[in-house]
Amino acid sequence: MGFDQFVADRLDRLLRYATAITCDKHLAQDIVQNVLMRAQSRWERIEKMSAPYLYVKRMVTNDYLSWRHRKAAREIAVERAELAQRVPSMADPADAHAERDAMRARIAVLPRKQRAALVLRFYEDCTDAEIAQVLACTESTVRSQITRALKTLRAHEIARSTTLGVHS
Amino acid sequence: MNDLIRRAIAAEADERPDPATVLAGLRRTRQRKPFGLVVGVASLTVAAAAAAVVIPMTIKKTESAPVAAAQPATAQNVLLVGTDDVDFADAILLARFEADGSVNAVSVPRDIAVGDTTINRLYRDDPARLVSAVEQVTGQKVDHHAAVRMAEFGKIAQVVGGVEVCLKKAAVDSITGVSFPAGKQTLEGDRALAFLRQRHGLAHGDLDRVRRHQAFLAGLAAKISKDNALALAREAGGSIRVDSGWDVLAFAQRFQGPVKIVVGTLPVGEPVTIADNVLALPADPSRAKQFVEQQFAGGAPAQDGCVD
Repeated sequence: MGFDQFVADRLDRLLRYATAITCDKHLAQDIVQNVLMRAQSRWERIEKMSAPYLYVKRMVTNDYLSWRHRKAAREIAVERAELAQRVPSMADPADAHAERDAMRARIAVLPRKQRAALVLRFYEDCTDAEIAQVLACTESTVRSQITRALKTLRAHEIARSTTLGVHS
Repeated sequence: MNDLIRRAIAAEADERPDPATVLAGLRRTRQRKPFGLVVGVASLTVAAAAAAVVIPMTIKKTESAPVAAAQPATAQNVLLVGTDDVDFADAILLARFEADGSVNAVSVPRDIAVGDTTINRLYRDDPARLVSAVEQVTGQKVDHHAAVRMAEFGKIAQVVGGVEVCLKKAAVDSITGVSFPAGKQTLEGDRALAFLRQRHGLAHGDLDRVRRHQAFLAGLAAKISKDNALALAREAGGSIRVDSGWDVLAFAQRFQGPVKIVVGTLPVGEPVTIADNVLALPADPSRAKQFVEQQFAGGAPAQDGCVD
């Protein structure tokens, strides 16, 4: 598959993935654009791989997890953390959107790598092996990242329902 | 909780930036040419191509044919495909783009028999299969192909401020319930889509629909200008798939003004049954090839502007 064809087929999906892991569409756009430019210059090698999409996804993930975006990621996290604090008290537990947005805010403040693992599992439906490939780590690390993320989210979930329970 | 996580992540992902913007950014970096100009010109192709999926017989060909003859090496045959929601080809058009920017095209009815199937099913399997079937039927080499989802045409029509078509008599699409009055009318959005999709209730079914595609494309080509080209490229550019070996931007350089297009429909025989309950139209190879040759040589007969 040629590079243009790859972009035509996968760009939308790649942007969705990048937005989900960065929680910031402008950062997602920068990263995807940069990665695709780099991918194009060595497309001959990438297209021969068994899973070009997975490889490009790995480039996007690495780019985000790299030092370059640490500052941007922290700023987004601070912003979302404030949001996350406000959401529970305002949210009506019966409102599915409010519940979803509260969860979204909590996912946004997870450590970057945990969130990437979570997105790969729950949005991209990757296997442990595929996630390990994208994150360049072992499968047991993948499992521990996801377990820790879920534990954090669950703790928040319980805290939140308790708070809401007291108020209601 | 897992389901909640899924929904939360999907909602986050939905915030993604517009793919067309990213695509334009990529092309800009690659071409290092003035952005507006390149995109403007490219969108004319897109429109010709995109729009291409549909087409005109109302527009007369320009008188400047000799220019094309002087540079035969640059004329190119492009297969334009309009796909439905499951990637079957709803519209198939082989267009010859001359060096002077004029276009002669032939609509290939989607029900043409190819082996034990119909030609419209080949694209989804592999675009190369459709390409070779079209080459076989028309006797012409296909240099490149482009595909666009038919569903995009509602928006495309909107961007150019509506596309004018003319119906011989009033029509009602029993599937969508949309009704069209007789005579000239300007279509966009859902009405444009209903116009392009209707085949039930028309005397010749899909063949009438092919004429509608052609009339719509003619109307669309007439509305494209450098003022709406950029908006058009933004709207349609991201959803058009072209073969990987095709430098669309270089190709687009030849278009400097409104695209002139002349289209005819490939002649076919009476419907035959090719498999259980599958009706198909047999192509007549010798007649078809001759027709395409005449069409590409600019010998298309003038046709009435209104369609069924």
